[in-house]
Amino acid sequence: MTPEQAELIACHECDLLLQRPIILDSQAARCPRCGSTLISARHNSIERSLALSCAGLILILPAVSYPLLTLELMGNAQSQTIFTSAMALFSDGLWFLALLVLLFAMIVPACKLLLLFWVSLALHLSIKLPGMPFAMRSYQHLDEWGMLEVYLLGTLVSIIKLSSMATLLPGIGLLCLGGLIIVTTLSSSMLDHDLFWHQIGKKQHE
Amino acid sequence: MDAGLLTCPDCHALWPLSMEGEYCRRCGAELHVRKPNAMIRTWALILTASFLLLPANLLPIMQITSLGHQQPATIIGGVIELGSHGMYGIAFVVLAASVLIPLGKLLGLLIMLAALQLGWTTNMQQKMAMFRIVHWIGRWSMLDIFVVAALVALVQLGNIAQISGQPGATAFAGVVICTMLAANSFDTRLIWDRHMTQDTHTDEQRADT
Ligand SMILES: [Zn+2]
Ligand SMILES: [Zn+2]
Repeated sequence: MTPEQAELIACHECDLLLQRPIILDSQAARCPRCGSTLISARHNSIERSLALSCAGLILILPAVSYPLLTLELMGNAQSQTIFTSAMALFSDGLWFLALLVLLFAMIVPACKLLLLFWVSLALHLSIKLPGMPFAMRSYQHLDEWGMLEVYLLGTLVSIIKLSSMATLLPGIGLLCLGGLIIVTTLSSSMLDHDLFWHQIGKKQHE
Repeated sequence: MDAGLLTCPDCHALWPLSMEGEYCRRCGAELHVRKPNAMIRTWALILTASFLLLPANLLPIMQITSLGHQQPATIIGGVIELGSHGMYGIAFVVLAASVLIPLGKLLGLLIMLAALQLGWTTNMQQKMAMFRIVHWIGRWSMLDIFVVAALVALVQLGNIAQISGQPGATAFAGVVICTMLAANSFDTRLIWDRHMTQDTHTDEQRADT
């Protein structure tokens, strides 16, 4: 980019070319024509992203491995984890659904946390790690396919559906999953894409 | 685009128009002035989603076996059952996630495509707001799939009670994924291009008279 191009910004939803607005901490600039968010500054975005991705990586192991719910009926007990719910679909012959549950509720959220950790660690220490632009792009493309909160809502609906016929005990995994959802939601809202790309671009040219 | 610049789809850096088809020097994404074949891709995904909507709603999404008694469950059946037990709130959440949102998304995308192809470029701000809602809300229609996943994992009690997944759920997941991909492949800038050319046409007509 030439310096004069760096002064400009194009709205990615309507392509209006604007002078890059100067915004302060925790402000956002909107496109005057279509109303999309052009850039939104976040206070300490890099440090917060690093902290939140660390917290998420700690929480994700218990969230996917401890039981979310245990069902008790006539002396029988059956537990549900994210992994066993995918495996149960697989054993019913619905391998495509099993794959989707694994992807959207385990693999994509884990990858998002790892990628965010990688990029924010490199930017925080201002060192150049390999694959930073690729990691950031992958994070952006994976963002909407991580569906932990939808999975949690699905589990809550199933509690209501089963509550009349059996006893349901919430497990430790449910607590960890709740925490993980708070952490990932915060990390999405604390991420200043513009700042991250600017810093990655600077590292590329060193 | 008018200033001879194009925007990187991933990192939003600006590059000269001559770099069409090359790769962004900051992030490595392929550069295009507009998303390639945006209309055809969106149409194809919308049509696929509409076809899948039939098996998704007609086929059972799960099979409930209780004390040797088998009973298939469809999406609508589940909503009606929740409603008949007086759980209207949760019935509405499931109805919204599995029927209203997918239909609303398809309708919203069709309105955007119509706006583009027929030149309905009035109320652009409202159209953009609608598109953003369609985009954001899409993932929540996976709710029913995750309900099935939870029920299937929990109710595995042999002869007493058993719930197993059925192909209707796969079709429904297909609807959700197709509509999400359709929203991603649509390029809202195309409507703005049309909006701008129509504005200049009317300006020219005014100048003629
Ligand atoms: Zn705009
Ligand atoms: Zn780029």
